[in-house]
Amino acid sequence: MKQLILIALRNLISHRRRSLMLGGAIAGVTALLVFLGCLSSGVRRSMLESATTVATGHLNVGGFYKVTAGQSAPLVIDYPKVRSIIEKTLPDVAFVAPRGRGWARLVSDEGSMQTGIAGVDLKNEPMLPKVLKMLEGNLQDLAKPGHVLIFASQAKKLKVKTGDSMVYSVLTDRGVNNTVDVRVCGVAEDMGLMTSWNTFLSRETLARLDQTNDSVTGALLIYLKDMKRIPEDMDLLRKALTAEGHIVMDHSNKAFWMKMPEVNREEWTGQKLDITTWEDEISYVSWTLQAIDGLSFLLTSVLLIIIAVGIMNSLWIAIRERTREIGTLRAIGMRRWRVMVMFVIETFCLGALGTTAGAFLGCLVALGLNALAIPVPEGAQFFTMSSTLQFSLDPGRILGGAVVITLCCTAVSLIPSFKAARMRPVTAISHVG
Amino acid sequence: MDRMKKLLSALLLAALSPALLLAAGSLTKEQMVDLLKGIDQRVKSPGDYKSLVYIEQREKDKPDVAREALVYRRDLDQKLMILFTKPKTEAGKGYLRVDRNLWYYDPTVGKWERRTDRERIAGTDSRRQDFDQSNLAGEYDPAFIAEEKLGNFAVWHLKLTGKPGQDLAYPLVEFWVDQATGNHLKRQDFALSGKLMRTSYSPKWQKVYSETKQGEVWFPQEIRIFDEIDKANSTLVLIQSVDLQALPENIFTKAWLETKSR
Repeated sequence: MKQLILIALRNLISHRRRSLMLGGAIAGVTALLVFLGCLSSGVRRSMLESATTVATGHLNVGGFYKVTAGQSAPLVIDYPKVRSIIEKTLPDVAFVAPRGRGWARLVSDEGSMQTGIAGVDLKNEPMLPKVLKMLEGNLQDLAKPGHVLIFASQAKKLKVKTGDSMVYSVLTDRGVNNTVDVRVCGVAEDMGLMTSWNTFLSRETLARLDQTNDSVTGALLIYLKDMKRIPEDMDLLRKALTAEGHIVMDHSNKAFWMKMPEVNREEWTGQKLDITTWEDEISYVSWTLQAIDGLSFLLTSVLLIIIAVGIMNSLWIAIRERTREIGTLRAIGMRRWRVMVMFVIETFCLGALGTTAGAFLGCLVALGLNALAIPVPEGAQFFTMSSTLQFSLDPGRILGGAVVITLCCTAVSLIPSFKAARMRPVTAISHVG
Repeated sequence: MDRMKKLLSALLLAALSPALLLAAGSLTKEQMVDLLKGIDQRVKSPGDYKSLVYIEQREKDKPDVAREALVYRRDLDQKLMILFTKPKTEAGKGYLRVDRNLWYYDPTVGKWERRTDRERIAGTDSRRQDFDQSNLAGEYDPAFIAEEKLGNFAVWHLKLTGKPGQDLAYPLVEFWVDQATGNHLKRQDFALSGKLMRTSYSPKWQKVYSETKQGEVWFPQEIRIFDEIDKANSTLVLIQSVDLQALPENIFTKAWLETKSR
């Protein structure tokens, strides 16, 4: 085997130009795949970071309360009891944050917009100060009643800055118009699509706006120590809540607000709880990840086909050039399968070297761009979920991509190698060309 | 001694205040309730009702949007339907109220959505109540504010507070009623927080004779609604024609609206 590897490597070196061209093409495709993979991982990381700060916990116990069959509200009634069930049932809870959920018109002197409202209690939200990057103002002021935290794009649209006054106007769940005056306590850096329409208000102020009492919240956001336990914990929680007499809705991988039209159509009143994961709550933006992954797959597939054709062609040429050599090797006793393995190893070596170089190149480009923190245009932030271009190296994914490309190249070489191995020694030796 | 004088003065003022108010043109509680009942009665149509409505919406930084709609009412059964006919993008969309539920139909998705009874009609500042029958006397307790002049009109200025247990979009309303005709000319709706939400003017009123009522049914020809929160927004509602002929029996159904939407 050692001899075969040596022959393969010497052969690659002796046909330097051809090897470099083919190896370069393999490296290019691998680099592209790795680069797009890093982008996809970066977007996923940004999405997880922004989603689990702005909109969702790792797991959520939300739900709907219907006073009449036609009017539902995203509320959990008597949430301290539900919270205690969560804390008793799940073994690895890092913390549980009750968070109000609302939807209202936010009006400034210069403009207005419909916004989602996250009613937060800062003492229950240790992640917020770590993740939100304040451009101006003070996040801690959010603990004071009547203060709102907005994001840069909202501040631009509403033409407000820290200290300015605005009004939230809402039709409450009981159908009464209500307003609350708020003051901007700070402006945070945008974090993609979700922060384009979400604002933060103290829970007390949101309760005043929505006319709800202290025992009511929008959802209980559960943060776990190990996110791999999400499916298991979801099942545990469903069983525990049902056992305690709560009605739990069937799992549906949609954000809570996307379920409201369906819930409104249903003929029931009272409370139903809904357990969702962070991925469910951002299902409306996860298509961006699928789009990047789909694009990577499509591009890589097309390029791989082109490379496969190239590899096949060059092997045919190599076999033709080395027909007499094959004949001689066969004549001195080399078995057919060893001839085949010799050519396969040659392609495998080319593929392995090419993909290794490509993976390094892809990683270097991704790390370089990451270090440059290239700002993303506002429109593109919907896809990148971050104000700067973020790449993340996922070793498993990079290794997987390199292995797949190497194996594809090797597989392509099987047919010409097989043909070479089937040559009769007499015919091969007497071959002229 | 001074304290005694002050007390006597206060007692005298309290005793004379009803007389002073009457002299200034005040209304008693009963008179105000009768006034509201009168308004409800004047716009009430016991039979069927159909009107052609033009709704123009103005919003800051957006082009004006004009819509035309047909409003169908059967007040005895509390039924209401609003069917948009223009522009083309809105044609076929509609609202239907059945048993206190307001449904919205969008033919582009072919689905019915249950909406809150107090939602903005087609995203404008108008509400379902602006097109529906009136029940001011049943929903609100009136209080007298003043006798005023609104332009050339002498008006009663009333403050209406929602009665307990009533589901109202605006729990507090100020009302300006024309002394000569009994029609309301101006209305201000306040949020639960006490903030002024919208001001609407109904300067022109028309009447049509109803066979069923054996009397006249009044309707505002023009309603101008101004958003007091988002000051740049306003809505103009023109009720262009009213027809009190009997409507087909099956008109207040989802199937009927769907057929009209095709």
